[in-house]
Amino acid sequence: MSLQDFFRPDGRHLSRGGILLLMAPFFMLIAFAFLYPLISLLSLSVTEPTAGFDNYARILDNPVYGKVLLRTLWTALLVAITSLLLAFPVAMAMVSSSGPVAMLIGACILLPFWSSVLVRTAAWAVLLQRNGLINEAMQWFGITSEPIRLLYTQGAVVVAMTHVLMPFMVLPIYGALRNIPEDYGRAALICGAGPLRVFTEVTFPLALPGVLGGFILVFLTALGYFITPALLGSPQDMMIATLISQQLREFLDWPFAAALVGVLTLFVTAITLAFSKIFRFDRMMGGQV
Amino acid sequence: MQNLSPRRLLLMGYVYAVLFFVLAPIVIILPMAFSETDYLTFPPVGFTLSWFTDFFSNSRWMGATVFSLKIAVLTAITTSVVATMATYALMRGAGRIGALFQGLLIAPIVVPHIALAVALYLFFQRIGLSSTVFGYVLAHSVIAMPFAVFTVSAALSAVDATLEDAAMSCGASRFTAFRLVTLPMILPNVLSGGLFAFILSFDEPVIAFFLAGIRDKTLPRMMFDDIEQNLTPIIPAIAVLLTAVSIFALIAAALLRRAAANRTAPEEAG
Amino acid sequence: MDDVVQAQTGTPPVRGAEIAVDGLAKHYGSLKAVDEFAINIRSGEFLALLGPSGSGKSTILMMLAGFEVPTAGRILIDGVDCTRLPPQKRNIGMVFQHYSLFPHMTVADNVAFPLKMRGVGRTERRRRAAEALKVVRLDGYGARMPSQLSGGQRQRVALARAIVYEPRLLLMDEPLSALDKNLREEMQLEIKRLHHELGITVVFVTHDQGEALTMADRVAILRGGKLQQLSPARELYERPANLFAAGFIGEMNMIPAQWDGAALTLGTGERMVPPTGAVVGTVGQGAVTLAIRPERLTVCDPVTPDALQATLREVVYAGAGTLLIAALPDGTEIRARVASASLPPALTEGETIGLSCPPEAMLVYGEEAAA
Repeated sequence: MSLQDFFRPDGRHLSRGGILLLMAPFFMLIAFAFLYPLISLLSLSVTEPTAGFDNYARILDNPVYGKVLLRTLWTALLVAITSLLLAFPVAMAMVSSSGPVAMLIGACILLPFWSSVLVRTAAWAVLLQRNGLINEAMQWFGITSEPIRLLYTQGAVVVAMTHVLMPFMVLPIYGALRNIPEDYGRAALICGAGPLRVFTEVTFPLALPGVLGGFILVFLTALGYFITPALLGSPQDMMIATLISQQLREFLDWPFAAALVGVLTLFVTAITLAFSKIFRFDRMMGGQV
Repeated sequence: MQNLSPRRLLLMGYVYAVLFFVLAPIVIILPMAFSETDYLTFPPVGFTLSWFTDFFSNSRWMGATVFSLKIAVLTAITTSVVATMATYALMRGAGRIGALFQGLLIAPIVVPHIALAVALYLFFQRIGLSSTVFGYVLAHSVIAMPFAVFTVSAALSAVDATLEDAAMSCGASRFTAFRLVTLPMILPNVLSGGLFAFILSFDEPVIAFFLAGIRDKTLPRMMFDDIEQNLTPIIPAIAVLLTAVSIFALIAAALLRRAAANRTAPEEAG
Repeated sequence: MDDVVQAQTGTPPVRGAEIAVDGLAKHYGSLKAVDEFAINIRSGEFLALLGPSGSGKSTILMMLAGFEVPTAGRILIDGVDCTRLPPQKRNIGMVFQHYSLFPHMTVADNVAFPLKMRGVGRTERRRRAAEALKVVRLDGYGARMPSQLSGGQRQRVALARAIVYEPRLLLMDEPLSALDKNLREEMQLEIKRLHHELGITVVFVTHDQGEALTMADRVAILRGGKLQQLSPARELYERPANLFAAGFIGEMNMIPAQWDGAALTLGTGERMVPPTGAVVGTVGQGAVTLAIRPERLTVCDPVTPDALQATLREVVYAGAGTLLIAALPDGTEIRARVASASLPPALTEGETIGLSCPPEAMLVYGEEAAA
């Protein structure tokens, strides 16, 4: 996620004052509506009700909260893995298809970006409800004999979140695959590699930066996801975002909610920073030859 | 290689199954807008347009829609103007401030929306910005900013910077050169950045959930409540309306892109 | 690779493959990329496929490699029908236009890749890769990444990867087109040396006629998917089989003329009697083309018998040689490349000169040969 290559300063340089003036609105916006609120929230977590890390200790001490954290991690991981399994073949098909077919697949993948997250969540609620289409289909096929509970389960959350986040996985993988020259696969074939080994030795390793990028993006987004667990998940199987909401809105426990936000934010930031190095490392290795 | 090998068929079969999974829920909800039942069911029962008339005649839904539109339009304007200014400065040699800018730019993508929503909830409550148009516009601009900057910088880097030098050598001031030379060329991207911000704001559920007061709710917040409590066909009715708007927006975006391609295309050599 | 080391002392270790291609065709819908292509390539031969882009030369190479399945025809490698064999089972070495080194592997891993695919053990792989690198004069570069090498070095690594498992056939798809001129000449010699040392059969695709003439034993000229001429380099230059080959290789003056079966009548009414050997193929009476290489023309007195009279348009002095551009009375442009020292001291543009050539330098092509 290095932006160094993205922005190439060009043309006659502006004066320092001019640059400051032009950037001032951006910095003011970020400082006022992003940095300050976040910092003051996080400072609340270590100052109230008493100074120190009591709020964080509470998260660790209470096994209920530990379980929420683990469930969140596990759900996000599951969503990322499922998304990868769905997205990789789609990206491969897009790269290997002729123009119109590739465009059609791409359009289908991008279509969800243009439709409301809430509408899609509602669609899943309808599909998964007791007398919903999926329950009826399962009975029709004889998989189940009577309607089972699908809605308000962790499974519903995983399916709906995968549906929302999977497109974010397709794009970076597609980008990585498209950048692999066709001759690489040919070179591997002529060297004696069968189609499977071409994939394991050449295609997949070269697509790995895209796979990692997509995986991290989906995983991190899923970690903090609120809408889907709130509407489709069970109140017993809370995730960190729903727990934050509950602490805030039902118990009005600001400092504890702030500590949960702190844990989530620090975790997400740490992973992003850790992998930004790997991304750069990969770019260096994967340079055009 | 051979296009219809068994391997290829297997791959395409899998891909079409995935596409079905992606598209089916989006498509299936639309006809439910015309159902006569007051709960959501598929296939829909009967045919009625009453959910649309309900939506348009209910002052709470209409109020929320107007509120959301106001916020989205202002967010689009704010985001595209601020992003263009900052990106322009960045591309014209910002130096060390540029590094700081880039670091801060992706922060709103990295930090989960729920964290920002809670932080803004606390802060805005204290200063009285909760559930105000201004508060929402600030919040939505923060999350839309990175995408707008990417869109604008993609166009700016395709514009030959010496064109501005040429304009200035003809006697134009820096600002005139930007306004008459660079801006027309990047305008399609500036607008599509704004369009993106509009969509992001109009469909933003998380910040809306936390910042909303009792009365002034955004449309996504109203939808959230309906899904959580009743799940009536008013949601599919809104989905039908949003889809219609989205199709218009898609066409608009495509036209903008075409215009962008024409404007930033390099001149013929010679 | 012991054999390769041995090769440096002189005896070719590998008997190159013999290739027989018969009736080969590749059609994309109504487009005939390759049509009725037949060729026999001898063991250890260096064959160049030469043609402009779209001539089908690359498609032929892709079919030899197995990346394209022919619409019709057969490819035999050492008598074995390989027409539909997948590329990974053909045991062919190939060097790609942009080298196609795997960017995520070290140089040594790249070179050892074909051995790995053949189940060769790790230590053996390493040893043979190191030796192959030695053959292309890159010993000690094994630990680097391809991105750390120059264009010429990458080219050598690609060569090492293609020969490491001692294939009997080496395919090269415009391998030098991405290099600058000096490096290209150096690599031409290098590839020739390797070919000589290894005794491998080489099929080399290029659009650069100089490269084809320098490197190949025989050159196949292609146009529109069809073989135009297959000859050794010298014959190709001195006696092109048809007008296309004549115009494609080197410079050629093309003078329209009428042929009555014994003599030529030029547009000016001038009559010339070419030696019998000048007529290429069968030429019917009527419109023909008289072809003469510019360097075979010499300047003479305009009244000399059998000399072409021309008006001098331009004198381009270039050190050792001088290019004369002149026009025949009917307007046909004619060029002569002559040694500067042999020129009369005062040549002025606009004056009438005579141009003559030895009879054996004349070539006469009929209309049908122009197809």
